[in-house]
Amino acid sequence: MGRVKIKRKSTLIDMTAMSDVTVLLLTFFMLTSTFLQKEPVIVLTPSSVSEIKVPTSNLVTVLVDPESRVFVSVAGSQDSTWSSERVRAEVLKYAEKLYNDSHKNQVNFTDKQVRAFSKINMFGYPIASLGEFLDQPQAKQDELVDPSKNPNCGIPIDLNKDMTKPNEFQIWMNAIYNVAQDVVDSDGNSFESFIKRGEGIAIKADKETPYEVVHVVMDNLQTMKMNKFSLMTALKSEEE
Amino acid sequence: MAQVNEGGNSRQKKMQIHVDFTPMVDMNMLLITFFMLCTTMIKSQTLQISLPTNDKVDQTEQNKVKQSEAITIIVDSERDEAIDGKPGTVKKNYVYYYEGKAGGELGVEDADGNGFIDNNNLKEIEFLGNANGQTQGIRKILRKRNEKVVEKIDVLKAEWRDKKITDEEYQAEARKIRNDSTLKRPTVIIKATPNASYETLVNALDEMQINSISKYQIDNMNANDSALLLDYIKAHPRK
Repeated sequence: MGRVKIKRKSTLIDMTAMSDVTVLLLTFFMLTSTFLQKEPVIVLTPSSVSEIKVPTSNLVTVLVDPESRVFVSVAGSQDSTWSSERVRAEVLKYAEKLYNDSHKNQVNFTDKQVRAFSKINMFGYPIASLGEFLDQPQAKQDELVDPSKNPNCGIPIDLNKDMTKPNEFQIWMNAIYNVAQDVVDSDGNSFESFIKRGEGIAIKADKETPYEVVHVVMDNLQTMKMNKFSLMTALKSEEE
Repeated sequence: MAQVNEGGNSRQKKMQIHVDFTPMVDMNMLLITFFMLCTTMIKSQTLQISLPTNDKVDQTEQNKVKQSEAITIIVDSERDEAIDGKPGTVKKNYVYYYEGKAGGELGVEDADGNGFIDNNNLKEIEFLGNANGQTQGIRKILRKRNEKVVEKIDVLKAEWRDKKITDEEYQAEARKIRNDSTLKRPTVIIKATPNASYETLVNALDEMQINSISKYQIDNMNANDSALLLDYIKAHPRK
């Protein structure tokens, strides 16, 4: 019997087609993606039938964590003249002024601190120690606004009704509102008009957050006459 | 690279044009993974609400809701014990409602002294949505109270589905119907207990949208509401 000859087959596979596919997929993801914004706490929003999309610009997001810690993020207009960075820098300067008007312990932010602040997407730290916080490197900052590592983070808030002595949340919201009056995009829509219509303020809270916690934020907004706002929800399909 | 031919052999070797794409694929896969993990595909939705201002003047001017039109929805959640100020996880969400005034005509009174409010008109109900094309739970009650508006909107919706009217026309017309004061419309007052989860509140607000109710507000619990709720729980203990 003759020996069976095994033909040597080349193990080379043509990867060109595979490469084509992956490049296509990559292009798709790159074009459709919006990056996840860094947030100190991850919340699961409740679902609703509302189909109004969250705007990406001209938006103040108030994140409420179940233990009533409040974080705020501001997104500026779509135009480059009023980018989120610039809006945030202006907000900090205005908040500094408001804070110094109503408190004995004055705060002063250096240009470097303002620049650091404008890079932060979501902020939530008592104003008195904000300067110190801004001097820290990024990794340390993340640790400081992480509620599981630093329970004292978040913007201090209470049920204050006296606008001559605003709490820090009211200072921030006031500062944002004042800066928003100047933020006008190329279509002539001001950030302020979005806030007035209720599209510019969104409350984001976890499904299980007790109402009393959300109520504190709502009450503060009502006191500041920002009584129109939206609640962030996920989409739920509802059969008719 | 240029090769120097030595000797008379001028026959060129066939160039190998095969390029190995494996590293390219590897790199692409890595990038895809990165993009997949770092992106949000589904954008969040928003639910727009407007609340009254906190000004004292407004509250006195606020006209009293007609009793026949009023429905009060109370949402509550049963929770585990709170640990270190951290609210306990939600065990179950509850929804209650009463029509008209708390306790009806008799008010929140215990005249016969048996420890229970004589006329507790609070009823327990659930967010059930639809089943078999029929509205269930709280939706059934709200829909019935807002019948006139819902009927008109349904007709309009059918027209819109058949593409007889445009999107904008539909929205404008629907808004007009929702705010038509000649139709009998209920006024819904949503109240949430301090423990109530945010989810139940959004659910309640959602029902307003589903049932095309234009007159609703979020209010705080008052003493009567709390008394009714406590009384109800006493009479019907939670499992």
